[in-house]
Amino acid sequence: MGNPFPRWTNWLPVQIVICLGALGTVVTAWVWYTWTPKYTRVGYQPNQPIPFDHTIHAGQVGMDCRYCHSFVENSAHSNVPNAQVCWNCHGPGKVKSDSPKLEPLRQAMDTSNSNYTGAPIRWVQIHETPDYAYFNHSAHVNRGVSCVECHGKVNEMPVVYHAKPLSMGFCLDCHRNVESHLRPLDEITNLDWEAHDLDKDQFYAYLAEKTGKPADDLKEADKNKELNARLVGARLKEMMNVNPPQDCAACHR
Amino acid sequence: MRWFFLILTLFAVMLAVGYGARGTKFSKPPFELFPDMDRQYKVKYQKPSEFFEDGSGARRPVVGTIPMGYQAPLNKKDTPVGSEYYRSGLFGDFYGDGFPEEVKVDAALLDHGRRRFQIYCTPCHGESGNGQGVVAKYWLIPPTANLVDPRVKALPDGQIFWTITHGKGLMGPYSGAVPIADRWAITAYVRALQGASGN
Ligand code: HEC
Ligand code: HEC
Ligand code: HEC
Ligand code: HEC
Ligand code: HEC
Ligand code: HEC
Repeated sequence: MGNPFPRWTNWLPVQIVICLGALGTVVTAWVWYTWTPKYTRVGYQPNQPIPFDHTIHAGQVGMDCRYCHSFVENSAHSNVPNAQVCWNCHGPGKVKSDSPKLEPLRQAMDTSNSNYTGAPIRWVQIHETPDYAYFNHSAHVNRGVSCVECHGKVNEMPVVYHAKPLSMGFCLDCHRNVESHLRPLDEITNLDWEAHDLDKDQFYAYLAEKTGKPADDLKEADKNKELNARLVGARLKEMMNVNPPQDCAACHR
Repeated sequence: MRWFFLILTLFAVMLAVGYGARGTKFSKPPFELFPDMDRQYKVKYQKPSEFFEDGSGARRPVVGTIPMGYQAPLNKKDTPVGSEYYRSGLFGDFYGDGFPEEVKVDAALLDHGRRRFQIYCTPCHGESGNGQGVVAKYWLIPPTANLVDPRVKALPDGQIFWTITHGKGLMGPYSGAVPIADRWAITAYVRALQGASGN
């Protein structure tokens, strides 16, 4: 009886395993790289009804974020400004009031405009946590977490995009290691802030003022250290007793 | 074997090119793998709602009521928080002077007023209130008011409060963004600026 299988088939099982392995590797690599909010969300930059530019308003004009996002300190939700806020500066006879880019604003506000509708401007929301997770802006910005930690350098974005993944892992990375992410409360909306810009004397005076206790012993302990994000964060954490929750029920309530 | 690896390489290159690097800008809403509970059918902040006739998710409070934790948005006579002067800056039809009894003028209030002033007023009126803010440079017609001018200094406190609430001439109303307590704090800080200016 002859051998029904030619000789090369001896290697077939091995080849199949190698091929499947290689295919598996490629597919795994692809899944690892793309099936994550780091890929699916970061870079999301929808087209907005008005090409609103943060570099002009927050950069050049130097407006504080809270001029427009006015309830970020008091509320869970950070509001996008209503049309009246824009109208304060872009109303008739004011800044660039005839700009074609501002047509949707005139439709919302200008009763003498032939296209007046009075309907709000439909800004497209970019950052949006799923509804099963609870997020609260005021709990963060009043405890020394700056906008830049979760939104990136918005003041340098001509068009806002999703800069950080805002996944559960991202939230927890900070909650577990909060020291490196805190800053004095006056600097929350200063996105260009760097810990080493801080004046040492002023910083310890600030700590003393906030706690109502002299901070001389802390100052003495940090005498030879440079002020970096970690040290500043650690001192602030101590001062405000910051303790971000890590249990599931804090965010999934 | 060789063919397989050739095709696999091609496939991998296609994936890499087709999907691109992380962080590439795109304008379609992000893909959600298991969208089960991600977007629940409920009204959310600043979102439209098809449920209501006017398409707006935000509802106005029933006349004569205020949501819990909120202050009266305007000087409506029928809202029960604070005295009438506190809410409107007016006594009857006249601007009142002095601070209402709800407001305690102290260092903390002035400090709070300074922060609020620097957010909402400096773009136009400038750090020192002299009317030379950044936006004043882009402004076409009448100049932004100089808040440390003797003329404004002579205005009653109630009128400053009223101006923040309702605006005046080219200046828009700030009642939407600045709650009543903060408006009084800003008024106090404007007074402090005027005192410091020596005009
Ligand atoms: C002049 C008003 C104004 C100022 C000042 C301003 N913003 Fe905005 N911001 C807007 C408007 C309008 C939008 C919505 C349109 C858009 O996304 O471009 C927006 C959108 C955003 C978004 C995206 C919101 C979303 O849909 O997820 C973020 C984040 C943001 N702003 C952060 C900031 C930060 C941080 C600052 C301070 C450096 C700031 N903004 C200052 C008006 C303003
Ligand atoms: C404090 C004043 C102020 C407010 C409030 C403000 N802007 Fe502006 N805006 C400016 C200034 C100043 C410029 C720059 C004009 C220039 O470059 O000549 C500008 C420029 C613009 C431009 C570019 C216009 C063009 O033709 O190039 C757009 C669009 C715009 N703003 C939209 C908005 C929107 C939308 C809002 C409300 C969320 C808003 N602005 C609120 C002051 C303001
Ligand atoms: C700890 C992280 C974090 C910080 C700090 C933070 N944000 Fe956000 N922000 C978020 C998340 C998460 C969302 C999405 C919230 C949602 O789905 O309602 C968001 C949403 C927003 C939105 C869009 C809301 C909407 O409905 O369109 C704006 C505007 C915004 N943030 C502005 C700010 C500003 C301004 C600051 C600083 C003062 C700030 N955020 C600080 C995480 C953060
Ligand atoms: C850069 C750091 C940082 C990031 C990122 C961050 N948090 Fe926090 N979180 C904090 C700090 C600080 C606190 C305040 C803890 C305290 O008050 O002691 C906090 C508190 C909280 C609380 C408790 C609030 C309350 O009302 O008790 C919740 C819920 C929460 N965070 C959810 C989130 C979610 C969801 C995300 C991701 C979108 C997130 N956080 C991202 C730093 C962060
Ligand atoms: C700091 C806040 C926070 C804490 C604490 C937290 N989560 Fe989450 N979780 C989130 C956020 C935000 C998301 C949404 C992530 C996203 O959109 O990518 C999420 C998503 C999830 C999901 C994914 C659902 C899906 O369909 O993708 C599961 C499952 C989950 N969390 C379970 C848990 C469990 C179990 C714990 C306790 C060990 C926990 N979470 C603790 C914030 C938190
Ligand atoms: C968008 C620019 C702008 C902003 C922001 C602004 N103002 Fe004004 N303000 C003006 C202009 C312009 C005038 C002059 C109005 C006129 O006489 O037509 C004015 C006038 C005033 C007056 C009236 C002076 C008088 O002659 O009676 C007061 C008081 C005042 N502003 C206070 C404030 C305070 C307090 C804030 C902060 C909450 C503020 N303004 C924010 C532009 C602005």
